Amino acid sequence: MTDTSLPPEDDDDALAGEYVLGVLDLADRLAAEARIKADPVFAARVTDWETRLSPLNDGYDPVPLPDLLPQIEARLFPHPAHARQSWRLWLAGATAAAALAVGVLVLVPPAPQAPLLATLGSANAPQAYEARHDGSRLSVRQIAGLPAPAGQSYELWIIAPDAAPVSLGLLGAATLQVSTPRPPAGWVLAVSVEPAGGSPTGAPTGPVILTAEIGA
Amino acid sequence: MVGGGDVDSAQARPAARTDICLLLERVAKQDRAAFGLLYHTAGPKLMGVLLRILGTKAEAEDALQEVFTRVWLRAGRYDAARGVGMAWLVALTRNHAIDRLRARRPEQSEDGEAESIPDHAPRAETRLIAMGEARRVAECFDTLEPAKAQAVRGAYLDGLSYDALALRHAVPLNTMRTWLRRSLLKLKECLDQ
Repeated sequence: MTDTSLPPEDDDDALAGEYVLGVLDLADRLAAEARIKADPVFAARVTDWETRLSPLNDGYDPVPLPDLLPQIEARLFPHPAHARQSWRLWLAGATAAAALAVGVLVLVPPAPQAPLLATLGSANAPQAYEARHDGSRLSVRQIAGLPAPAGQSYELWIIAPDAAPVSLGLLGAATLQVSTPRPPAGWVLAVSVEPAGGSPTGAPTGPVILTAEIGA
Repeated sequence: MVGGGDVDSAQARPAARTDICLLLERVAKQDRAAFGLLYHTAGPKLMGVLLRILGTKAEAEDALQEVFTRVWLRAGRYDAARGVGMAWLVALTRNHAIDRLRARRPEQSEDGEAESIPDHAPRAETRLIAMGEARRVAECFDTLEPAKAQAVRGAYLDGLSYDALALRHAVPLNTMRTWLRRSLLKLKECLDQ
């Protein structure tokens, strides 16, 4: 959405403000979200607006809190057997079976680098990635295969039991680094093929080419 | 970097919020006890955000579980140096609520939305006058025409779309869009002084 009477910088700033206000329709909102992922200057404008408008948060009244903590904790800190079943259900429902390739999981970490969390690889896909976790940060590096073709991106997802997949970012030539706790056993890492810039919906839209369940 | 100065000017927060900041820093280090405390400390406010934007208790409760799942996963991205813990949590919560709202099928969001949502603006305004920084925002809102200031607040607090705002204020969609974009830039100029 452009306003031809505004200079480009103001136009971007107004768009970032509109996104934070929440007034954009679905298509414009998704476009803005894709831009936040791809454009750090625009992402900074969004953060600035969040800070600028945050005093308005006083207009939200606290309300009695339902005790949903047990459900949230069960989702985040699962028993592995339960977890395994739920991610398979999700994959069965959400991905094309033909494109699905279950990953190989390597458990024992070699010493010098951050401990290996999982290897995402498959006989059916040329790409392979290794995921390491150093105690505070997840890093995912491509160890085989080519970068995504023009017009496409590979996107990394983490799936907690009973939860929707959450994007961890796009996998490019550089190692993807994400500050996040070590995912517990039973969680799943997955790689999907998305339009350039990542999923436009916030959920995987393309085929899932690799998955790996995290071990204990 | 664009907007670097803006961040500094918008940064100071009331001291009472540091509790949340400390809890978030502990959650980023995977402290589960801190996560439970954060749920009980910040939860009532975040539930208030979700209930107001989403409208039903059932959907707000569903969204609250999703929000706290994301808080655990993303706490590492919380920038402690900025010291805006509650603002960070509310931003994450509003984003999730508005994503849900916009993803609803059109017939759910169009019918009677403008009529069914109560107008909280005057109460919000009264509250804003209470604190220093909030007063500043209120003063900047006062530089806008009342209808435009109300449209910006309604958008922010209730998660209203351009369609719903245009209906509520009985102006064409494009007029509303121009109002809000100009109002935002005017607010920015005032707040970043």
